[in-house]
Amino acid sequence: MGCFNSTVRKPVPGHENPTILASQTAFSVSEVEALFELFKSISSSVIDDGLINKEEFQLALFKNRKKENLFANRIFDLFDVKQKGVIDFGDFVRALNVFHPNAPQEDKISFCFKLYDMDGTGFIERQEVKQMLIALLCESELKLADDTIEIILDKTFSEADVDQDGKIDKSEWHNFVTKNPSLLKIMTLPYLRDITTTFPSFVFNSEVEEIAT
Amino acid sequence: MNAFDIISLSPGFDLTTLFEEPRLKKEARFTIWRPASVIIWKLEDIGRVLGMKVSKREAGLLKMEGVKEGRKGILSIDAEIFELTPSFHLVEVKKCNGDTLEYQKVVNEGLRPGLEDIIWDWQQEQHVQPEQQDVQLPQQD
Repeated sequence: MGCFNSTVRKPVPGHENPTILASQTAFSVSEVEALFELFKSISSSVIDDGLINKEEFQLALFKNRKKENLFANRIFDLFDVKQKGVIDFGDFVRALNVFHPNAPQEDKISFCFKLYDMDGTGFIERQEVKQMLIALLCESELKLADDTIEIILDKTFSEADVDQDGKIDKSEWHNFVTKNPSLLKIMTLPYLRDITTTFPSFVFNSEVEEIAT
Repeated sequence: MNAFDIISLSPGFDLTTLFEEPRLKKEARFTIWRPASVIIWKLEDIGRVLGMKVSKREAGLLKMEGVKEGRKGILSIDAEIFELTPSFHLVEVKKCNGDTLEYQKVVNEGLRPGLEDIIWDWQQEQHVQPEQQDVQLPQQD
């Protein structure tokens, strides 16, 4: 029993060397290959080009390629590090790495800050939070009166905005999240631990000898 | 509960759907314009009607459990109540154990119709507010 490098391999669109990606992330080589199975199915769903575009991302997330969502857009923009309007496999793996249960808290806190800092000013302004809150209420069954929204914003900012300048900077965010760890719930995907069982077909594509992990 | 807790409820942030089928949703949320004590009473009542055992765990957390083994073991559902304001609460319902289809049946045929009359409806904002009891749950972090 053994795996050997196949020299006659049809290149699969979007494929990148799993060993390199594994060395840059918390994923093992076989986990990277399992992620590639997931990436393949998402990136080929509308245009089979080895890249995830916005519609394909929306399709994967909402099962509806036309569904526009402010928050999904934020995630997409952060995955699309090179700002090309598409996510390649390397982007995909490196971004999902932050969501791994073992990823450093610092990385999660930082990613989350960038998520909410919609205009990228380096601060989360009250107006931005209000905008996101209203967007959330519009898209869900939740409905709140205007003054309730203001009360919630007041409460949030009185706790998070320590220097009371109307915006949350990175260090205020760090302290706030440390006191309210549930805010980082969205930054961890337990599924990433079992990725090789969720996508077992990678076994037949494995191009490197399995190293005991 | 703060603004970011609410914002993070968006399905746009929920990447787990990349890994699982959407129709197998294991969570549901309702906003209810009633004090917590009323919500707890309602949930206990619905549980009773459905033949489930309802028990109170920590503050704001209820557990609803089936009495018989279902397709995948005993169905166990958590209902957690978060205070937005003293008379405004968010109820988050989650499957802990058991078959997802059985869980969805409880939510769609039991909880949703049972809570229908107290789930806040925007159109009713103009009506007289229900009498507010001053019962407060400890703030959920």
